[in-house]
Amino acid sequence: MRRTFTFIAAVCALLSGAALLQLKLAVQEQAERVAALADQIHSDEKSLRILRAEFAHLTTPRSLQEQLIENLAIMPPRPDQIIENIGEIPFRRENTAVSGDLSVLLPATESPEGEPASSETKSGEDQTL
Amino acid sequence: MSLARAQSFEFHGVAEDQSPLATARLRLMIGVLMFMVAFGLMSVRTIELGLSSPSVQRSAARDIVVPPVTFARADIVDRNGELLAVNLQASSLYANPREVSDPAGLAQKLVDVLPGLSLAELEQKLSSKRAFVWIKRKLTPRQKWRVNALGDPALGFRNEEDRLYPHGRLAAHALGYVDVDGNGIAGVEHYFNDRLSEAERAGEPLALSIDVRVQYALADELEAAMRAHQAIGAAGLVMDVNSGEVVAMVSMPDFDPNNIRGVGDAERFNRVTKGVYELGSTFKTFTFANALDDGVATFEDGYDATKPLRISRFTINDDHPKNRYLTLPEIFAFSSNIGTAQMALDIGGDRQQEFLQSLGLLSPADLELTEVGAPMYPNTWRKVSTMTISYGHGIAVSPVQLATGISSMVNGGRLNTPTLLKSQSASHKGKSVISPATSRKMRQLLRLAVTKGTGGRSDARGYRVGGKTGTAEKAVGGGYDRKALISSFMGVYPMDDPQYAVFALLDEPKGTKETFGFASGGWVAAPVVKNVILRTALLLGVLPKAEDENLYQRVALMIEEDE
Repeated sequence: MRRTFTFIAAVCALLSGAALLQLKLAVQEQAERVAALADQIHSDEKSLRILRAEFAHLTTPRSLQEQLIENLAIMPPRPDQIIENIGEIPFRRENTAVSGDLSVLLPATESPEGEPASSETKSGEDQTL
Repeated sequence: MSLARAQSFEFHGVAEDQSPLATARLRLMIGVLMFMVAFGLMSVRTIELGLSSPSVQRSAARDIVVPPVTFARADIVDRNGELLAVNLQASSLYANPREVSDPAGLAQKLVDVLPGLSLAELEQKLSSKRAFVWIKRKLTPRQKWRVNALGDPALGFRNEEDRLYPHGRLAAHALGYVDVDGNGIAGVEHYFNDRLSEAERAGEPLALSIDVRVQYALADELEAAMRAHQAIGAAGLVMDVNSGEVVAMVSMPDFDPNNIRGVGDAERFNRVTKGVYELGSTFKTFTFANALDDGVATFEDGYDATKPLRISRFTINDDHPKNRYLTLPEIFAFSSNIGTAQMALDIGGDRQQEFLQSLGLLSPADLELTEVGAPMYPNTWRKVSTMTISYGHGIAVSPVQLATGISSMVNGGRLNTPTLLKSQSASHKGKSVISPATSRKMRQLLRLAVTKGTGGRSDARGYRVGGKTGTAEKAVGGGYDRKALISSFMGVYPMDDPQYAVFALLDEPKGTKETFGFASGGWVAAPVVKNVILRTALLLGVLPKAEDENLYQRVALMIEEDE
């Protein structure tokens, strides 16, 4: 009985010792991971700065405008196209459904039809982007 | 006690000689029991800790140290946080000539990789006896990679910081530039050099009042107008009339602060702050405000403009002669020099000087730049000076001074200090220069100068633009050159609640077929202001809406338009 008890106690002590060692190693490993992560964050922050600078360079208004002229047929809005609150938009009258023609969003290679804008703007001043 | 216990053992028939051993065992058992209780408690506690969910999670975050990204100079951002200037790591290439075996061969290889270098100079450097020579400072990553690919042991890199301006030419005059060692040489880089290079505040970007989107719209329109009218230069400014913040500032020709080698003085010159110009009729705004505020004249008054005014050896003419008696609103709308000059005489030279002084037009602008020009005006303020200055001749001020002055005319009469820094507080209490009532009258006049007068080409529909044209002949060698003009337009919108002042100036524009050969402010500069307003009003949060005609009706009736 006493021998069994001693044996169990010894095994327990050994096991807990082993577990403690295991825990220590695990903590060390985690600490190393944390350090590595901190390093990673540091270098990410560094590249973030570079990327931010690059982003600012690539999205400078001049290049955005050039891209826009090349790829989209979007014009600056005319003052009469801007409304202050959504309630000003009238409901569409019945039986006047229009087909969803998305060609207005495509490059202006062919003459974009269905744009009533050009006729009433004065001598193209509004078109100068 | 122990004796009694021993006796009791004896009673039970236990051998008497075993009693000390039994006592020892008993004591040992007590010790073991105590240990077991202690271990039991600990294991119970361990199990409890293992099973219970921790209520307070103590984070170990404060022990984790992320090394901060350090840089020698703080960033500069615009009012919306868009990056305008940033310090980045760059590598500079050096060589140890003592380790170079074949200077000519290495020089040739380097020139192939770095096209900007001179072969002869490089060869000389590489064959010197020194142990260290710079080959090229601040290489691009691609150049660095190609130099590394050469694999020559005599070459090496040193890490340095390079100042980069991601938007290139945009806002170059406001930003300025730095030298190769990172010291600010011009613009805010120079003015705020100490603040930007302060180590403790390097992580804290300097926020300017500039908005890159508005800046670009202004630059783009001015560039187009400059090209169309073959002007030698242009200047433009957008200012918040209620805070004095400079939202955009453009001077043409401009330069790329990333590469200032070979940039001439003409490009570096900031026409908005350092350039002083005789701005012409825009100055009538100040004369009118002065007269109305002092009660020298009212809207009902008028002056005779039937014939040119003669004063000593000068003759004052009108550019748009009406040859009749003009009411005050008419004098302003038709930009009559004759009428304005007479009004200035009624105000008096001393009072005029005092008024212009109170608007800061007689001292250099108080802006966060070192490139600030001092205004030019006659030392002795004679009668003829009073008359010519009333319509903007014989006095030269910088565009930023003009914009500051005009802002105070329309914003209710408060003069704000112009600033290039994003303002932190919402309320701005500048000193009062004219009464709110006079300011209201000036708004009416400025709006009518656009709807009925010379500034019609600035009228961006829906944005209620008010403004005044200015056309002045350039002073050349003591006289005026009738062909060389400074054409400008000072616009403010929306006139019922002024928010922004937009100024455009073209230096020596030529008339075109579209402008019927005219090159005056109303023809060349007003359309620039109009386009800038159309492009940027929405970005700045000003919505177009129908105009309240009642605001101007009473004054409008005083302007009799010719057919």
